[in-house]
Amino acid sequence: MPQLKTRMPFRKALLILLPLALVCCLLVIFYGGRGQPSESTSYTIADSTGDWGYPSPYTHYSRGPGYVRMSLIFETLVWKDDSDFVPALAKDWGYVEEENAYIFELRDDVTWHDGTNFTAEDVIFTIDYVKTHPNPFVTLIGPSGVREAAAIDDYTVKLYLEQPYAPFLHDVAGTLAIIPKHIWEYVAQPEEFTDAQAVIGTGPYTLADYSKEHGTYLYKAYEDYYLGKPAVDEIKFVKISEEMIPAALKEGSIDAGDVPPEVVSEMEEAGFTIITAPYAWNAKLTLNHQKEPLSSKQFRQALAYAIDREALVQITQRGHAMAGSPGMMPPTSDWYNPNAPQYEYDPTKTEQLLKGLGYTLENGYFTKDGKELKLELIATAEFKAVGQFVKQQLEEVGIKIDFTTLEAKTVDAKVEAWDFDLSVYGHGGLYEPSILKRVIIDKGFNSARYDSNQALNQLIEAQLSEMDAEKRKELVWQIQEIYAEDLPALTLYYPDWYWAHDGSVPLYYTMDGIASGIPIPLNRLAFVE
Amino acid sequence: MRNVITYVIAFLFILTLNFLLPRMLPGDPLMAIYGNEALIAMTPELKAHLIERFALDQPLWQQFGAYLVALVQGDLGYSYYYNFSVSSVVLGRLPWTLLLVGTALIISTLLGIVLGIESGWRRGSRRDKSLLTGLMTVSGFPDFFLGILLLIGFGVTWGIFPLSGAITPYAGLSGAALVLDVLHHLFLPLTALTLCHIGASYLLTRNTMVTVLKNPYILMAKAKGLSDRAVRYKHAGRNALLPVVTRTGIQLGRLVTGVIFVEIVFAYPGLGYLTYEALLARDYPVLQGVLLIVAVSVLIANFLVDLSYSKLDPRIRYAH
Repeated sequence: MPQLKTRMPFRKALLILLPLALVCCLLVIFYGGRGQPSESTSYTIADSTGDWGYPSPYTHYSRGPGYVRMSLIFETLVWKDDSDFVPALAKDWGYVEEENAYIFELRDDVTWHDGTNFTAEDVIFTIDYVKTHPNPFVTLIGPSGVREAAAIDDYTVKLYLEQPYAPFLHDVAGTLAIIPKHIWEYVAQPEEFTDAQAVIGTGPYTLADYSKEHGTYLYKAYEDYYLGKPAVDEIKFVKISEEMIPAALKEGSIDAGDVPPEVVSEMEEAGFTIITAPYAWNAKLTLNHQKEPLSSKQFRQALAYAIDREALVQITQRGHAMAGSPGMMPPTSDWYNPNAPQYEYDPTKTEQLLKGLGYTLENGYFTKDGKELKLELIATAEFKAVGQFVKQQLEEVGIKIDFTTLEAKTVDAKVEAWDFDLSVYGHGGLYEPSILKRVIIDKGFNSARYDSNQALNQLIEAQLSEMDAEKRKELVWQIQEIYAEDLPALTLYYPDWYWAHDGSVPLYYTMDGIASGIPIPLNRLAFVE
Repeated sequence: MRNVITYVIAFLFILTLNFLLPRMLPGDPLMAIYGNEALIAMTPELKAHLIERFALDQPLWQQFGAYLVALVQGDLGYSYYYNFSVSSVVLGRLPWTLLLVGTALIISTLLGIVLGIESGWRRGSRRDKSLLTGLMTVSGFPDFFLGILLLIGFGVTWGIFPLSGAITPYAGLSGAALVLDVLHHLFLPLTALTLCHIGASYLLTRNTMVTVLKNPYILMAKAKGLSDRAVRYKHAGRNALLPVVTRTGIQLGRLVTGVIFVEIVFAYPGLGYLTYEALLARDYPVLQGVLLIVAVSVLIANFLVDLSYSKLDPRIRYAH
């Protein structure tokens, strides 16, 4: 009898568990048929972050993916495909050297999503608006600035530059999203402008929904788009964690997403198209050129000879990267100078150089004036493996390294205050050489802040205002030679980035990145044609 | 009353910490308070405005005053990454975490209590041994690891449950279908969290149950001829409950931090995932906002637990 009674509450527990199990079964039945192929004209793109802000020029987050979401709705004067600049709102353009001005001939068949006609007034308005309301993606004040914007007629504008600026098409005309005057002239706080009016553009898509919490976007094709109704009716962005993107692709719930290098061959076998980003990002070893002993050029070169960058790629990146070139521009770039010093791995040269600087080897380590040579290397946890590899290589040749990983803010603060010897960090943007000024001489924290070589400074400024492409290339080549020779920082590697997609839309990487250099293969033109 | 004072002191301590931490970080406090993103958006006018708003040019105690005034107005700060006020960013995520954590807390505690009572009642029986071994094994795994196992099994391999998120985006669902969709997405993360946390309340109930069963009043209850069930639940079970309830209050804090990993695994749009994103973007205002909300909710939960004591155990009422 007691045996039987003890079962009673257990039954009670069962009473709770059974319905739960039932609900689960029901769910399974309900959703068993999930994953059927989506409509042929709907395209779903996965992203592991999801939310990149409201896709209006002032409210998307100031990162590449935010711009890309905005660029489906808003257009620029010119645009790029995989190989060249192509017309967008301007059907033709030209540079007038005597007046240092660009003339843009605009299309006359463009309408805003609310039906209003697009005219030169909108362009003039945008230029003036961005001057008073700075936009993180375009700077219209300073060297890349526009002194004056004038409408010659309803469909021709002339932009007078502050000074000759070679990457003007790339950094300004191809990046500045044109906004409608009839809406934005009443907007005083563009960062807080997030209603339906804020997403009226001229682009092939309109925004149907955006969810901040879920990190999802829904776009519908704009029927009256001037190049004809887009081929894909609906674009969705959904949030899926990085590791789940390959599974979601195979399941068919998404059409495209970025995938880690490890799964590339598996995805190719499963029939997906893999596209590879041209190298745009580099990890660097920054050398504190303001402080002994790294203030000596020979010393910095000695370090470069001691680090085997090929081995670094194999060991720390499992081979999924290209070894760094000391001239910073990646060997795949059109701007790459193969004649810049390469510092092929050669520890004997390190020894020669250091001995030349007065160091002697004692018990396997270099010393000078009785003091042991010891350097401090700092990095964030992200670069732990790289830092350890560098430490190991330098200690092998006889340079003691004290390696610590620190929280990002602490690293920045120490680098900012020049309170370090070596540090590892990374940055992107290696497409258009205008980046060179920002990462070599400017004061930002991604920069080597190396401004003591006057010849280098002059070259960096000169290439920005050299409007002749061939001459500019020559200057950029010289910059790479001097930079690699002086070595204020050493590029260690360029990582491989991949996207996998099902081939229903021919995705491609844009020449020099979307707009001012975003390495994401979601050019809106791929969805139009 | 003494209780309330304790809570007020704890609350003030949290506020002070929340105020001091960013100002103690190395470097520019403006950057620590507003995050990296502020530097990109920073114009001289904005900088002046921000310094004035938080009285950064004033002595520390005046800054604290300005901070409190802003807080009273519901102003948790502004996130330059999200381009939104911190309170709206955090409040958007809060319901999802409440749904996940709240349900996990309730299910794991209730199941733990029921199973613990059953186990403790017949200690050493086969059922007790198998429950003990089974639950200890499952709870031994970290929650995110259980989550990954569940995700790989039920999501990737068998495709029964969705791979990520809290709803199917743009499926055009409403009403009952939407509720089912939410439950469908909730199931795996909830299971991971529940399984992981069931062990603690189970063990505690079981142990207390064993001690309680030795008391003379249990013998008395049995001698009165009460049914086994009445003795087990009304006499032994209720007395074994107190420590479990105390733990549940504390458990909430652990669950909210533990949920970070589960939410990352399932890309679930709750506070945990927000914390992770804010860390990546170094969005300090949002981090502080989350910290404050979590700390306050743990305080509230403990307060409610305190209140429920007197209901569960009348002796507490007389003790004060």
